[in-house]
Amino acid sequence: MYLKELSEIPGVSGDEDKVRNFIRERIESKLDEVRNDRMGNLIGIKKGRKSNGRLLLVAHMDEVGLMVTKINDDGTLSFAPVGGVDPRVLPGKRVRVGEDKLGIVGYKAIHLQKSEEIKKPPSYENLRIYMGFSSKKEAEKEVEIGTYVSFLTKYTEENGRATGKAFDDRGGCSILMDIIDLNERYDFDVYFAFVVQEEVGLRGSAILMEQLHPDVALVLETTTAGDNPEIPEYQWATHLGDGPVITFAHRGYVADKRVFQVLIETAVKHGIPFQMKRRTAGGTDAGRLARRGRGVPAGVISIPARYIHSPLSIMDLGDYRNTFELVKRVVEDGKIMEEVSG
Amino acid sequence: MSLETKDLLMELSRIDAPSGFEKEAIDFIEKQVKDLADVVKKTRLGGLIAGVKGGGGLKIGIFAHVDEIGFVISKIEDGSFARLETVGGVDPKVVLASEVKIYTRDGPTRGVVGLLAPHLQKPEDRKKVPMYDEIFVDLSVGSLVKSVRVGDRVVLRGDPIELNGKIVGKALDNRAGCTSLIKSMELLRKYKTRYDVYYIFSSQEEVGGPGAATVAYELNLDYAIVVDVTHADDAPPFYEKISLGGGPVIGFGPSVDKDFWKKIMDIAKRNGIKYQKEPLPGRSGTDTDEVQMTGIGVRTALISIPLRYMHTPVEVVDPSDVDETARLLTHIAVDLEV
Repeated sequence: MYLKELSEIPGVSGDEDKVRNFIRERIESKLDEVRNDRMGNLIGIKKGRKSNGRLLLVAHMDEVGLMVTKINDDGTLSFAPVGGVDPRVLPGKRVRVGEDKLGIVGYKAIHLQKSEEIKKPPSYENLRIYMGFSSKKEAEKEVEIGTYVSFLTKYTEENGRATGKAFDDRGGCSILMDIIDLNERYDFDVYFAFVVQEEVGLRGSAILMEQLHPDVALVLETTTAGDNPEIPEYQWATHLGDGPVITFAHRGYVADKRVFQVLIETAVKHGIPFQMKRRTAGGTDAGRLARRGRGVPAGVISIPARYIHSPLSIMDLGDYRNTFELVKRVVEDGKIMEEVSG
Repeated sequence: MSLETKDLLMELSRIDAPSGFEKEAIDFIEKQVKDLADVVKKTRLGGLIAGVKGGGGLKIGIFAHVDEIGFVISKIEDGSFARLETVGGVDPKVVLASEVKIYTRDGPTRGVVGLLAPHLQKPEDRKKVPMYDEIFVDLSVGSLVKSVRVGDRVVLRGDPIELNGKIVGKALDNRAGCTSLIKSMELLRKYKTRYDVYYIFSSQEEVGGPGAATVAYELNLDYAIVVDVTHADDAPPFYEKISLGGGPVIGFGPSVDKDFWKKIMDIAKRNGIKYQKEPLPGRSGTDTDEVQMTGIGVRTALISIPLRYMHTPVEVVDPSDVDETARLLTHIAVDLEV
């Protein structure tokens, strides 16, 4: 499991280099071919004994974050979100600015707010990053417009749960790396794709089809739990601790029925707990893959996580292990290939 | 062994001591000051007095509150979620997606203040700030989840960092003040004082509590200087802004003694201390308000350290302001003529 290291690496959409380098270094010797493609996706290939089919496993390397849009006269920085970041999670946070600089997202002291201001959510127009500079001139020496900003959260494990940033989708990346670590050779070829720019519109995965021509694709995601105390159980998307999440449909794509069935049957056969994603909000790279080239039957397996797209998300380590177990069995059993070729 | 101002600020910021639970901060400060004072004693309400004997006669008290804002657990739900009530003023906007530390009877445990991921939010959710009747703590990430009880104290986590020479952290309101008192005590050792000087690290300021005034009474003080923090780089439009790094802020208004204030300004000028002025047209919102009305009355002054983003986990102070405040306090203790 590489979740700790992966979680702590900054890699906002469009700036995935550090994540890619970390993964590439660790998978290079275990695969038959490893390459970076034009958009920055990392592709690894494990040739099959018979090479009688192509299974594509996908996880995205990028995380949501921020970008500096303006340097203000008082030396603070204005910024915009990269991917979906609720501005309400930002006030009072420490952030990483660029490679290795620190900043904070301050907020007007409660004493100076009028009563209606207290109830007003922060917005990108009024939030600022403070780095200790007192003038634009001073700030311009250290930061420039376009600098990426990422959350700054240490990974922690306690009570069977992990907390940290970027679990969406370093969780999926870590599982793909675990599968590579098994060092198994199967009958069919397995393509591992660590893709870029998922959070800004499923972009990196768009160029996989033309390069790899898979027969079937499986996307490994980290998905929202939504089992908050204020939400009635019937509205939960998933529930932490109930095992890997299998998606039947999400925005713009209904999971291939054969793939969907194989995932369920595999879980049942091996006694792996699993749950359905009960909400269809949000999308994954499966939707993009399915509509590129001639399309490809695809399925989605996710690790559930609470409070994703914030500086502090929570994952259940049992869910992680069971997700790994399910993916491992699906690939080992090979039934997924038989179903789509038959 | 004395710590540098910067390090002292960071060490003090790390300590969790919300109002009424000041013990850890007081114990730490006691270690720092025990060799700098003639008498060190705990107060009845959980504070600390460190007295430096002078020639007798007048008694001067220099106050800084050690407590910080925080929360208390008000309800447990479904075994692994909890609700919070605030201790002091905490903006609900600065607590979402943060880690908290909960002090249970069996020891500290962790929690996360969660917020529904944007994917599942309804459009109307985005337009509002969850208040404390909606904010919840996810206790499932701490090993002592089962030990959490209603009434347990909670603080927001936030390790101190340095930004371009400034210190960022929680509780710098008023650990910055505490730091300036400790530093002033170190400086005072070089001088002989005419008066007895008491450095008082007081409790429960953030709830408008009794920590400071009761000590002013107990010591029967003639003069009191309250050291607290004030808003830097942000002010209502009809107020002059106070600058971070601009030096100690000397307050003026009904809650401070006019003559004492004048003498302090003179002392600052004579010693080349760069200072800023703050008008306090009504109550000051600090312990000064209560201390002034203690016993037969105490001549008070308020000296504040500029601080950005007050009552957030990212409060900012400039260590040079803390050092200059310490210097001013020491000069007042030594040079004051009455």
